[in-house]
Amino acid sequence: MNMGIISKIIGIALAGAGFFILYIGMTTGNDILMLFLGSVVMVMGFSLLTARSGKEPTIKPPPPTVTEIRCDSPECEFKEIRDFESGDYILKPLGTTCPKCQGSLTIQGVYVVREEPENKIEI
Amino acid sequence: MSRVMFMQIGGETNEFSWILNLAFFAFIIIMSLYGQRIQVWQMLKQIEAGLHELKTLSIKSREIAIETFKRYGRDENEIGEDLDRWMDFFTIMPVDLDPAGILKRLDHLLDERRDRFEEFVMDTAPDASHSDRQSLENTLEVTQVLNLIFRIVRHFYILGKKTNSTIVIMQVQMQLPEIMQLAKAYFDAIDAFSESKPIGDGIGPLIVTKLAREYGGTAENYIDEISREVGYYEVDVEGRTVYAVRATGPGGTVGKPGFAIKKLVEDKGKIARIITIDAALKLEGEDLGRVSEGTGAAIGDIGPEKHAIEDTATQNEIAMEAIVIKQNEAAAVGVMDKKILDSIPEVLQRIKTAIRKRTKSGDKVILAGIGNTIGIGL
Repeated sequence: MNMGIISKIIGIALAGAGFFILYIGMTTGNDILMLFLGSVVMVMGFSLLTARSGKEPTIKPPPPTVTEIRCDSPECEFKEIRDFESGDYILKPLGTTCPKCQGSLTIQGVYVVREEPENKIEI
Repeated sequence: MSRVMFMQIGGETNEFSWILNLAFFAFIIIMSLYGQRIQVWQMLKQIEAGLHELKTLSIKSREIAIETFKRYGRDENEIGEDLDRWMDFFTIMPVDLDPAGILKRLDHLLDERRDRFEEFVMDTAPDASHSDRQSLENTLEVTQVLNLIFRIVRHFYILGKKTNSTIVIMQVQMQLPEIMQLAKAYFDAIDAFSESKPIGDGIGPLIVTKLAREYGGTAENYIDEISREVGYYEVDVEGRTVYAVRATGPGGTVGKPGFAIKKLVEDKGKIARIITIDAALKLEGEDLGRVSEGTGAAIGDIGPEKHAIEDTATQNEIAMEAIVIKQNEAAAVGVMDKKILDSIPEVLQRIKTAIRKRTKSGDKVILAGIGNTIGIGL
């Protein structure tokens, strides 16, 4: 049995014991001492229950990279966005022609769109 | 009498009161005697959790590096052995007790370091092209950095545990969030380097190339190797001759742009203005991709390159101007963010305004895009 499971079991036991002490405290005329002790024991139990094991780090995968292709003709507004392919780089001329005006195509952007952090602080 | 009163604190007595009183006093005594030890134990646990994560990042980056090197002709086991040997490679900074000539010595050491990296990559990936080798060097550096971060944190963790030193443990624990942020930023960067994708730091060279292309610069008229891995386009912008300097991509390199600027000033005669474009670290709260401008040389090297620009500008009385694109560490070393790319039109506009307003027709201007050119073509 690994330490993570043992600490969770102890956590549950402490939280339960804390709850029991609190209950006794409340049923015996709100005994402050018991209420205090019950709370402390419960907090200790919950801390152990919610503590991170540290052995299973989660690595968030990066957002997908996309390649933006544009037509080289200034009059043509053709734009295509597709998944990044190995060998793509910004300003790479592509061998294919523009489906709209038959002009040449160039990769104008290789990028990711990162999500805004949920807890962004705005001041 | 006093004992009875004590037991009645906070309410009526019952048969459990003496146990609770005892527990309460025991709690106070334990906390006052062992409170700090408990705190240290807690901090050690936090460092341990961080260390596990750092170890995972280090191992995964090594695996990615081996997978990347494997594409270029050598056996996985051999690459693994060579890579492990290379993880300890170090550079000793020059002595600064006698600072005279330190930048020259530092530049020499950095060249030597770069040569060794090139040699290692050449041996480990014999089938790689020049451009691929440049990107492989970057992959190698990121793997090395992650390994180094893990080893340093582990050192202080073990040292703190061995000596039971609160000060050592506290320092590591307090810096841990920042260390983790840095390590994660570098881990994300390995995806960019192993796949040769452009990174946020490359915005400077990209902007310079976009401007050069607008005024007739092409990969064909790009003049290469004015200094190590740096070249330039010579274009005419509204009657001014602009030397648009950047490192030669699309391989991952920053080259030696400072020395390239110095050489251009020596070769091309009177230069009216040097404009540097670079990525800069943003302050928390600032928007990613925010554009700022100022005076000076925008270049983030450890000394020799910046010194070369400042020195040549001062000696020849050339005005210096800098435009920076703000980004955080993760965006600078990670795959180019859309917001950074969206800053290009504004920077181009500011460059044109600077050239138009602060130089006159017939002047010569050096425009240097500083940064890593991985994934950015000429």
